This record gives sequence, C-alpha cells and structure tokens, in this order.
Amino acid sequence: MAGDPRVQEVLDRALADVAGARSTSDLEQIRVRVLGRAGRLTALLRSLGGIPAAERPKVGEQANRAKAAVEAAITARLEALKAEERRQTLAADRPDLTLPGRRPLPGAVHPLTRVTEEIIEVFAALGFSVAEGPEVESDYYNFAALNFPADHPARDMQDTFHVGPDALLRTHTSPVQIRAMKAQRPPVRIICLGKVYRRDILDATHSPMFHQVEGLAVDRHITMADLKATLQRFAQAMFGPKSAVRFRPSFFPFTEPSAEVDVRCFKCGGDGCRFCKESGWLEILGSGMVHPNVLRNVGYDPEEVTGWAFGMGIDRIALLKYEIDDIRLFFDNDLRFLQQFAGLPGR
Amino acid sequence: MKISYRWLKEFVDTDLEPRAVADRLTNAGIGVESITPVVEGLAGVVVGEIEAVERELGTSAAGHVNRLVRVAVPGKEFSVVCGAPNAAPGRRAAFAPPGARLPGLGPVKAVKIRGVVSEGILCSEKELGLSDDHSGILLLPGEAPLGADLTTYLGLDDWILDIEITPNRPDALSVVGVAREIAALTGAPFRFPRVVATEADVEASSLAAVRVEAPDLCPRFCARVIIGLTVKPSPPWLAQRLRAVGLRPINNLVDVTNYIMWELGQPLHAFDLDTLAQHTVVVRRARPGERTKTLDGQERALGPDMALVCDPERAVGIGGVMGGADSEVTGATTRVLLEAAYWDPGSIRRTSRALGLSTDAAYRFERGGDIEAPPDVLGRAAQLMAELGGGAVAKGVIDVYPEPRPHRRVALRMSRVERVIGASPPREGAVRILQALGFAVDGSGDDLQVVVPSFRRDIHQEDDLVEEIVRIWGYDQIPLTPAGGGEIQAVTEPAGLRLARPMRRALNAAGLSECVTWVFLDPDRLERMGWSDREGLLALQNPLSVERSVLRPSLLPGLLEVVGLNANRQMPDVRAFEVGNVFAPHRPEDGDRPAHEDLRLGLVLTGLRAPRAWFTAARDRVDLYDAKGMAEAALQAAGVTDVRTVPWSDDQVPAYLEPGRAARLVCGSTALGWFGEVALAAREVFDLPAPVFAAELSITALTMLPPASVRYEPLPRFPAVQRDLAVVVSGQVTAGQVEAAIRAMNLPLLSRITLFDVYTGGQVGAGRRSLAWSLTFQAPDRTLTDAEVNRVHERIVAEVTRQFGAEVRGA
Repeated sequence: MAGDPRVQEVLDRALADVAGARSTSDLEQIRVRVLGRAGRLTALLRSLGGIPAAERPKVGEQANRAKAAVEAAITARLEALKAEERRQTLAADRPDLTLPGRRPLPGAVHPLTRVTEEIIEVFAALGFSVAEGPEVESDYYNFAALNFPADHPARDMQDTFHVGPDALLRTHTSPVQIRAMKAQRPPVRIICLGKVYRRDILDATHSPMFHQVEGLAVDRHITMADLKATLQRFAQAMFGPKSAVRFRPSFFPFTEPSAEVDVRCFKCGGDGCRFCKESGWLEILGSGMVHPNVLRNVGYDPEEVTGWAFGMGIDRIALLKYEIDDIRLFFDNDLRFLQQFAGLPGR
Repeated sequence: MKISYRWLKEFVDTDLEPRAVADRLTNAGIGVESITPVVEGLAGVVVGEIEAVERELGTSAAGHVNRLVRVAVPGKEFSVVCGAPNAAPGRRAAFAPPGARLPGLGPVKAVKIRGVVSEGILCSEKELGLSDDHSGILLLPGEAPLGADLTTYLGLDDWILDIEITPNRPDALSVVGVAREIAALTGAPFRFPRVVATEADVEASSLAAVRVEAPDLCPRFCARVIIGLTVKPSPPWLAQRLRAVGLRPINNLVDVTNYIMWELGQPLHAFDLDTLAQHTVVVRRARPGERTKTLDGQERALGPDMALVCDPERAVGIGGVMGGADSEVTGATTRVLLEAAYWDPGSIRRTSRALGLSTDAAYRFERGGDIEAPPDVLGRAAQLMAELGGGAVAKGVIDVYPEPRPHRRVALRMSRVERVIGASPPREGAVRILQALGFAVDGSGDDLQVVVPSFRRDIHQEDDLVEEIVRIWGYDQIPLTPAGGGEIQAVTEPAGLRLARPMRRALNAAGLSECVTWVFLDPDRLERMGWSDREGLLALQNPLSVERSVLRPSLLPGLLEVVGLNANRQMPDVRAFEVGNVFAPHRPEDGDRPAHEDLRLGLVLTGLRAPRAWFTAARDRVDLYDAKGMAEAALQAAGVTDVRTVPWSDDQVPAYLEPGRAARLVCGSTALGWFGEVALAAREVFDLPAPVFAAELSITALTMLPPASVRYEPLPRFPAVQRDLAVVVSGQVTAGQVEAAIRAMNLPLLSRITLFDVYTGGQVGAGRRSLAWSLTFQAPDRTLTDAEVNRVHERIVAEVTRQFGAEVRGA
C-alpha cells in the first residue's frame, strides 16, 4: 500500500539529513526542522484536514511511523556522533601511560618489627597472650628468681650492664615470665618480648642490645612432649610446613631438663648450605621445662603444675630470614637498608 | 675444652669412631664443637739415631751452622744436612727419610744442599706439625725404639675433640668425666684406674704439716710429699699429649699436675717443699693490705675473703686460683709437696673476679670440685711424678677434712618422669642410666632411692634426675604430643603494644620509616642538647664506651643520629620514627621496677616533604606543621582526636627545641607529648645543617586515657550552607584563639569550622595576618534559610571583631 507521497518525501529527506549530520547540533537542527512545532512533519499532520476523511487515519498512522523513524535515526546518529566526538577528544589528549604513578610512598616497617609481629601472630593463634616488663630490672627478677645462684659461673653466660646497686639492664626477657607468674594463677600461656642487653662488643654478629621473644606455658598437664609439639607448630607456621625441630640437651639455670632447639634449615630444606654451616639445622631456640625452684619462687606448687619455656633472638631470625650479614645494619637505620622493607608482604 | 680421643679410650672401651662419639656426646648435652686430627699429612717419619757429625757446611742465611750428619735406622744409614744446634751424636730424633711425608712440606726427597745430597730431614716440632717450635729438632729419649714409626710412638694417630661444657657440669671438665658419659651413652665398660702409689718408708707427716685456719673457704686440703726428684723435661708422649690439648709442657713435675688435672678434673699444685718455712702449709684468710706475687710474676693486692695458701711466714699462693712465685718448682727442686684441695666455689669466683685472674684451676673450682677426689688423685699424681722424676712417694696422705660431707640422697618417682616429659624409658633402663653415670640406686621400693656421687654437685632434686635419665635416653625419644585439655583463655596484649601498632601503621602509610636506635647515649652530646641534669639520667656503671653510657631520656637524640648518618650518606631527606622506652630514675609509682620507663613514639622530618617526582613541587620542604600533623595522625590512629596545642613559653621550652616553635600536645589534663623545630644548638651536636622538625608522644600516657569510643551521629537530612569568614587580625592573634572564641559561642547551627587560608603580605599590612575559615551551617530538622544563616554569621563576625579587633574582608 503506497502511502502519502508527501509524508514519504519528508521522511526520505529527513533520514538523508540525519545521515549527513556532522555534529550533535546538526542533529538538533534536524529535529527542530522536522519534528518541532513548526517542523515539516508536524505541519504535514496539521494539514490532514485537506485530505479525504477516509484516508486521514491511514496518512496519520503513516506520519506517526515516519516521526518514530526519524527520532530513532536521530538517536542512533547522536550515539554515533557522541562516540566519535569522545574519540576525538581522547585522541587529542593522549596521556603518557609510562609516567610513574602518583603513589603515596610508604615508609619502611623495620625488619625487627616485621619478624616480631609475625611471631606474635603465630603464637596468638596458638592461644598465647603477650606480656611485657621493664628493661631496667633488679637482680632478683633477672637472676635470683630464675634460679641463678649468686657467685655462680652460670651468670657468665650473660655478661651484664649494671645501672645501680640493684638495677641492671635485663639480659633476657625471662624476668617478664617471673612478673607474669607472680601476677596470676596458672594456667599461663604467654610470650614475652622486647629489648635485652648483654655486655658484648658490637661486631657483625654480636650486639650489646638485641631483641628476644620467650614463651611460657604453665598448667596441670604441660610436658616436654607438649613443648616439642608447640615449637614444631611454631617452626612450621614461621618457616614453612616442611620445617621440623630437633632437641639437644643443654643447660639453663631456670629450666630442667633444658634443651637447645635446632630448626631444620629453611634456606636449604636440610640439605646443607652456608646459612646452616652445611649441617642442615639452625640453632635458633633455647628451651626446657620450668625449673621447680622457679615455680616455687613465684608461689606455684611444682607438684600441682608443670611448665615449659623457650627463648629466641628476634634479630637472629631476621638476619637469617632476610639473609642480612651484619647485625649492625638493624641499628644504623640507613634508609637505603630500611626502604628494602617497605611494602613487603608479611611473609 | 680439648680432649684426646685416645686418652678417652683409656677410660672407656668403645669401638665408636671419633665422629660417632662426638655425635653421641652432643646429643647428650656435651656439645662437641669440632673434631680435628692431631696431625695431618704426616707419614713415614721414624725414630732415628744421629751416629756422627761428619763436617760443617757453613752458616745458613738464618744464622744456623749447617752440618752434615749421619743418621742410622736399623739396617740403613743416611747422610743428612741439619742446621739444628741440638743435633748431637748419639741422640735419637724424629727422622723423615726420603719417601716420608711431612705436614705442609709434602713428600720428602733427597735434595742437594750446599753441594751435598741430603737424604731426608731431621725434623723440628714445627716440621712435624706438632707445635710452632722450630728452635731445634725433636729429640727422643734413648729408649725410643730405633726405626719405630713416630706416629705410633708418640700417639699421633689421634683426634682432638673440642668440647663445650656447660657451667653446671664441672665433673665433665676432664677426660674421665667425658669417658663416663660415653660409657653411659653406649653401654661400653667404664674403667677407672685406681692407682695405689708405691710408698717409701718415710712418713709424709714427718716431712710436712698442713694447718687449715679457714675451713669455710677450704673445706678439704690434702697433700702428699714426693722426695728424691730430678726436674727435667717430660717424656715426649706426655709433652705431646699436653700440647695436643693446648697446654704448654714445662717440666716433668709441673706437667704431671696439669696432666692429672686434665685427666681427672682435680687441679693440683706442686710446691717446692724446701721453700716452705717449717715445711708447713697454712690455709688462712688474707690479712688487710696483704700482697703477694703470683706465678705469673704479678704483685697482687689481696682482700679478706680470699683464701691464701701460706707457710708460717708468708703467702705462697692464692688458694684455688694461682700458686706463688716464691714456692714454685725450679730446676733445683728435689722434694715436692703436692696439693689437692676443695675450695668453696663462691669464694673462688669472687676472688678470681676481684683479681681479674682466670686460671684453669679457678675455672674448675668456681664450678665446683669433687670433695672426695683429692686422696685418689694425689695417689695417681704422686706415683706418676715419682716415676718421671726418679723419686719416691712418702707414706700417707696429709688430709685436713674436718667435716666430711654426706652424699646427697634424692628419691625419684618414675611417674614424675612421665609427668614432666610426657614419656619415659622403662624403669630398668632408667636405673641402668643412673648407675652408669655414677649414681647408686636402690630400686627395691616403689620409688628409686638415688645416692648422688660427690662429683655431681648439680644434682639437688628429683627433676635433676629426670633430666639425667632423659638426656641419656635421648631427647629424640620424646614424642610431639600437644597437651590436651587446659582452660581456654582470651589472648591479650599490653595496652602499649596494642596502641603502638596502629600508630606505626599510620606513620608508615604517611611515608615515615621505622628505626631502632641505641638505648645507650653519649652524656656529652646529651649535655650539649640541654640535658644538663645529670641526676635525671640513668648511667651504666660498666659501659662499653663513654659514648654509649647513658640510658636515653628521649627518643630525639637517637633519631637525630639517624638524620646525621643518612645525611652523611647522601640522603638529606629523612622521615623516620621510632617506638621504644625512655628511662628516668625510679619514682614511687614504679613499685619494684628499678627505673621509670616510658614507652614513647618519636619522629623526625627533614628535607623534602616527598621524594622529588614529576608531579611534586620541586622545593616543597617539610616544616613545623608536618611534624604536628604526623603527631596528630599518630594520635588519631590511637583513637585520640581531642588534642590541644599548648605552646611553651620562651623560658620553659626545652633547650633542644627552638623557642616559639615548639608546643605541648595535651588531651584533657594529660600531657601526651610535644612537637617543634629542633634547636640549632641541638642540630649542631649532630652536624645537621638543615632544619629538623620533630615530635615525641608518650604511648604510656595514651594508655592512661579513657578508651576511645565511637558513637554514631545521625546523618544530616537537610542541606548544609557554606559561608567563608575571612578576617585580618594582628600577628599576635592565633588561629586557635579565634576558633576557640567562635566555638565558645556555642552556636547550635554552626556544625563545622575549617581553616582554609592563612596569608601574610603586602595586602594585609605589616604585622597583620589574614585568616580564612569555611563555616558550615546546618540544622537537623529543616532547611536553613539565607536569613537565618546571615543572622548567625553576623553574630560571629561581630564577636570576632569585638574580641580581636579583626577586620573582616569581603564579608
């Protein structure tokens, strides 16, 4: 059915104009010219009065279809033109994507803090709270309560800085254990951490100031087998699932039996390398069952409860972990050293 | 302690190789640090005899007269060039014929020296790898079998175990002590040679007397007398054995004392009996002001708690520490009083430390000797001395032991082993271990009744025996069994650590690096920084150096040191912080803590605000407000936002901060810390040319504040209205004063006030400053009208004008 040729003519003309439009403003002009109040199609519809009444609905319908077609064409063309304009805008201002990002530069987490936090996290998961105590201690807390007899060569194992008649820089974090046990009844599950001091000349492997973590568990059913199991779990969490521990008898005044604990070398997996001096094992911890005298000193009954304790140097673990060959780097605070520990993942 | 493997085998009958022995010992707590062969690369050296010196060949470059000598071994003769002055006809010596091997030199060949063929080498100790002695050839006694292999003859096919003995095990500081451990570990038979001295008729008590006047310091003193002695060098086997374990051979009599100490663990001292007045030994306390000259030739001042070995006229030695110069064995000695005593360990330790004199004897006695050892040890030593010195042992032991000590008895429940260890060897195994270690065990009852031998001073109670059993049984036998049951407890942390963590993170995120600096500082530097109050500082009594002798009263000096170190290494821009304790003398609230400790966070900023980058302003340097902002950021991370700035007056500002450029940070009535510009004088202490800004906060103080809580406020439902307030005020008026005045008006519609501009310059006039705030007005229940906002704003303008004489700009 052929429609009204006038409508068709307006439609054809409008579609051609739309196709030829070069900008959104062109399109807007077309819209006004064709569909606006004074537009051609509108005028055409108004002039329907001049055609036979029988044809009016048909022509009206034809005109409405034409109107919809023009609108659709304008919309489509508009989309295309917008996309083109955006493309041109972007093309006119191309960024140099290789320029460095505008990134906030984080400061360094000190490697000792990093290792300390890791250790806290591992033991927190095993149910251990953190305890702290003073760095300037009395002889009682640092030695006597820990079963170091006066005038005993065991004290030579820890050469001491003295601050006053009965004030010294703690040589280990063990006095914190004494303070913690005196402050609470068993069960006790804590780790103690912080700075400790021994009168060693500073060199690549010794420092008069270093950091320790000690653990203490006291309860009714604590055994050396539990100590082994706990340290094995620690080693595996800290150094990887293949890690293992090895116990050797040793001597500390505050534990009986006492043990040196070797951890399977996490650098070579136990095959032998320079870090473990080809032995496959790293000597990392001292440990043992809390000496009955120590339990008595804090008012615990060694018949009722038993306990274990361990200790390790945070600095030593950090040295091994990051393959640092000089402990002095920790305390020089050369920013080129510290910055190597900015933004590293925790493990 | 160095111990010879062959020497050990004299006491324990084991087939284990040295390496295996070392592993077993280490696994039982007797740590073997190293195993080394006595000599390496020595082969084919034999006992030869110098038959004749043929002729002289002239003087060598080293000044020796070279001689051609004839050396004989059974069935063969060699012409050898030798420069040693002690090569004499008829003497036997170590001879390396062609084909032998020497350490360092390799295979020995016949070579031409000074036109003569030398068929081998007469060897010095150095050439044999035995010592550094190259002064002559190693001469051997006439009874050394001609042609015998030197390695076998001197026992050089041996290994030296270097053993670390923990301070609780003085009994293991001897060949016999280590042998006992090996016997217990392996089940091999332990042999303890009980030597009975062959005695002469003369009674020791008729030749010498001993009087102990200080039995508390010397609970037992034993002596034997050996007569008719000749002092001469020790036989090669003895000298060699001493050398191998690191002792220097001296002469046959002194060497016996050292040899027996090494073997049996009991220190001995040989006096020349004829130098002792009245042939009498007196053990007494030193008298006030008394001095004596020890064997090392040093004159020593003595104290009243030191035990002296004396004769009735003078001191002849410091008991258990060192003998005296006047009574030592000399070449002329023929009669010896041989001492073996037990000294009080604590007294020996105090004496040895007071005199700064550490000897092998003191080392053993301060760890604790064996009070029952002296008579038997003296028997063995006297017998050996008589053999080597051609003398005779006088009859009897002089033994002053007024209060014999009983053996300690300890009961052991096998259930205790299980209780402490979580595992246990069978009862018979435990008994066998204890017996092998020298304990007497009565296992007839339910519990083991154990008698502790006198040489195990470290065994006091049941758990000590538990350790002995498990140590020998093997720690690797203990299973890995977590303790079941137990109470579940909340995991807690000290408040300081908990607060420090977010503060660290905030500063890390803001670009500051964490440092760990020395706790010990230089008092001179501190004084130059203004810590002139020496009383307020804690000093080490025994520092390693004066530069590291005072405990830090603040984190600032350590951080300035960090700035200095980095500046010297071409890193002038430092943004750093530290968390750590600072120290002050004890205060009443510190209780039984000997010092006052305060956990602080310190920070320093200097140089560029951010590393130079294409997007940063080229010369954007940190200033005072960076330090304040970092401190505020750290405080905010700790949950503290309500912080007041309280500037220090010029006469109260600490000397290390610039007057007018430093202020305290206060929350409520709690001082939290300070920020400011570091004083030029303090910077000069560390040679810092550029301005440094710093802050220090007390984390301890933060822990005292009520815990931070966050309470939700409903979000505004009606729009806010912004107005700017720009005023010009006198330079004396602070922004804080203006803000406080506005806040004090308590205007309910004023919801926020933010300073956004500060300007000084020509347009506002000299001595004046323009400050501009953005004011936010808002009501919770309605949209504000312009008229309402204008009314409030005008009140603010009026108030600021009234109070500060402010001139309002562009209102």
